[in-house]
Amino acid sequence: MNRNWTGYLFISPWLIGFFVFTAVPFLFSIYFSFTRYDVVSPPVWIGAANYAKLLFDDPIFWKALWITLKYAMIAVPLGLVSGVALALLLNLEIKGISIYRTIFYLPSIVPMVATSVIFMWILNPQIGLINGILAKAGIAGPAWLQDSKWAFWSLVFMSLWGVGGSMIIYLAGLKDIPVSLYEAALIDGASAWQRTRHITLPMITPVIFFNLVMGAIGSFQYFAQAYIMTNGGPEDSTQFYALYLFNRAWRYLDMGYASAMAWILFAIVMALTISIFRTHHRWVHYGD
Amino acid sequence: MQTGKRAHARTWWDMMSAWGTIILLVICVIVMLALPASPRKYPERIPIRFWHMWTAEWKDVVEKVVDRFNESQDRYEVIPLSVPGVSADSKFLLAVAGGDPPDVMAQWNQVIPKWAESGLIVPVNELMAPSEWEAFRHTAYPAALKIGMYEDNLYGVAIGLDLYACFCRLDHLREAGLSTKKFPDTLEELVQWGETLHKFNSNGSLARIGFLPLDMFGYAPVFGKGFYDWNQQLVRLCAEDNLKALNFLVEERQKLGFKNVLRYESGLGNLYASGIQWPFISGAYSIVVDGQWRVEQLAKYAPDLAYATFPVPAPKGGNKLAGWANGNFMVIPKGAKQIDGAWEFIKFWSGIENPERAAEFYTWGGWLPLSPAIANAPAYQEFVKKNPQFQTFLDLLPSENIVPTPPVPYQTYLSDRIKAAEDAALRGTLTPEQAFDRLGIEIQRELKSRREFGYTDKPILGANS
Repeated sequence: MNRNWTGYLFISPWLIGFFVFTAVPFLFSIYFSFTRYDVVSPPVWIGAANYAKLLFDDPIFWKALWITLKYAMIAVPLGLVSGVALALLLNLEIKGISIYRTIFYLPSIVPMVATSVIFMWILNPQIGLINGILAKAGIAGPAWLQDSKWAFWSLVFMSLWGVGGSMIIYLAGLKDIPVSLYEAALIDGASAWQRTRHITLPMITPVIFFNLVMGAIGSFQYFAQAYIMTNGGPEDSTQFYALYLFNRAWRYLDMGYASAMAWILFAIVMALTISIFRTHHRWVHYGD
Repeated sequence: MQTGKRAHARTWWDMMSAWGTIILLVICVIVMLALPASPRKYPERIPIRFWHMWTAEWKDVVEKVVDRFNESQDRYEVIPLSVPGVSADSKFLLAVAGGDPPDVMAQWNQVIPKWAESGLIVPVNELMAPSEWEAFRHTAYPAALKIGMYEDNLYGVAIGLDLYACFCRLDHLREAGLSTKKFPDTLEELVQWGETLHKFNSNGSLARIGFLPLDMFGYAPVFGKGFYDWNQQLVRLCAEDNLKALNFLVEERQKLGFKNVLRYESGLGNLYASGIQWPFISGAYSIVVDGQWRVEQLAKYAPDLAYATFPVPAPKGGNKLAGWANGNFMVIPKGAKQIDGAWEFIKFWSGIENPERAAEFYTWGGWLPLSPAIANAPAYQEFVKKNPQFQTFLDLLPSENIVPTPPVPYQTYLSDRIKAAEDAALRGTLTPEQAFDRLGIEIQRELKSRREFGYTDKPILGANS
């Protein structure tokens, strides 16, 4: 009993932090979502008015939700495919492979703000790197971040910059595949593609599953890049859900409304995660 | 037996080490909390906690003013704290909500109406004697008063207004054969000058922009009443004059080609970049509309650049000496522990108490003063003599046509949606009429929701009001 208390005492800083800064605000935000609340004045109960306005009378909310959903549907699979492809390449036993691994992993540890600033220059229509390369091929590149047709796609493209983070997890998964499986396949005369298709990919499905869930959750929380690089523009084309939520909370001081938005987001993310989990028995193999 | 004894000793030692670590940690925390953040110069005085958002060279100016205040009297000590601009508002809100706000804060964001409506800041006119308030209302420049007012109370005292006028490069004018002494009297003439000054590359892309108007907040007051009827205290959006202003911006942009301008501007970096990075210095623009702080920046970063300033001219039937205003102002939060001390400091800096003394502070930051008494003070006049282009901005100060963003509690939302409407029209996604229709619908919808949530906003004026 005494030892238990000692244990709790040791983890108490974390426990206190969790309850005070996570659990309690989390629960309070349910209440705030049914109120008119501007942080300073006491919250005023308004029933489900925030939810009603969000769902039936706020086109920006729907636009933000659609943009975020579109991002999740495009950027997450794109990240998965490129992450796996990169990991497969970096799993080859060639000279200097650890240097390549380091090079591809490095971008994912660069702070988000620094990355965003670099990409603002890379994507500059006049003096940027990409349009410079395109110009050499005789192509006039678009005004990436300033054009409402291209801004969203620029952010999707930029998301690949951080693919090294998931790549390293795939690589760990690849290293875990028993060599005996490949040996057996070789004896049976399986080609490289067959080995990849029938051994490698099925064996790393648990890792793909993990990255899919984390990527989907992360994409619904997409904020920093849009805040720094486009601030929702041009013409609301990068008005991501979390950015609109932030604006409602801190710029318009509409904390009740923002809380309602947060809970709708929570419901969406939960529903999505549950559906991904429901499908996992069909395609995730645990080697049993 | 020996082993049991040793094991017992180890358990005892482990426990002692654990408790020792905890006690050490607690002591460290207590010591850290007990230590003052920075040593105070006048510990015997009443502390006035002052938050501001200035950094770098501006922070030094603020600290200089604070030092002057602290030297000037023996009751209070102002302790300045620079809070980075991005998170300053949220930190301030949480400090007030947590019951431990600063005593006074210098702000420049559009916060007064919302904060006043929420009871976050106190009306400073209630700290003045009736005669003092009456005198302030009659002596402060119109823009200084408008920027600090919500409903009928003053919540923010301006300590530096920002006004906008045309900056033109004399070398470009000479090169184009335009006068360097007499500048355009009408907006139409200014546009013609711009067309003469534009330069294009052989492939049709822009090599220099002569003059290109942008920003609805700046041009709406030039064409009419703008977005707020100051007499009726009502927001006005879909009015004919506002539509004219947007049409003007769109037409001028179309002449150069939206994509052409976009490419040109993107290559230059930020049009509003400060210091040496301002594209006007590199000659990318011949005439631009910008704020008075550029006068000081030009003196510092491009002392040899020959330029002149003049007010944005009025279009046919429009308003002279008109435009948008913003600026720095002081607010006192609800729950401030030293309201009297905060008010003393505000009076000291703003010049309400002693305009002649405060004039010097305004010159340190290159700020526009609160009242003519400060503008006419010897220190300020000396400053204008050294920076003659500043005079244009001083001439704008008494104008009733210089107006800030409408002071309504949903000001930030309104401002965002006006900018979105302008953006859509400039890009050609919507016609100016469609952009205003959408803007009207968006604001009406927001107001309807706000009414349902229990807010009591005034209605907005309809078309042709």
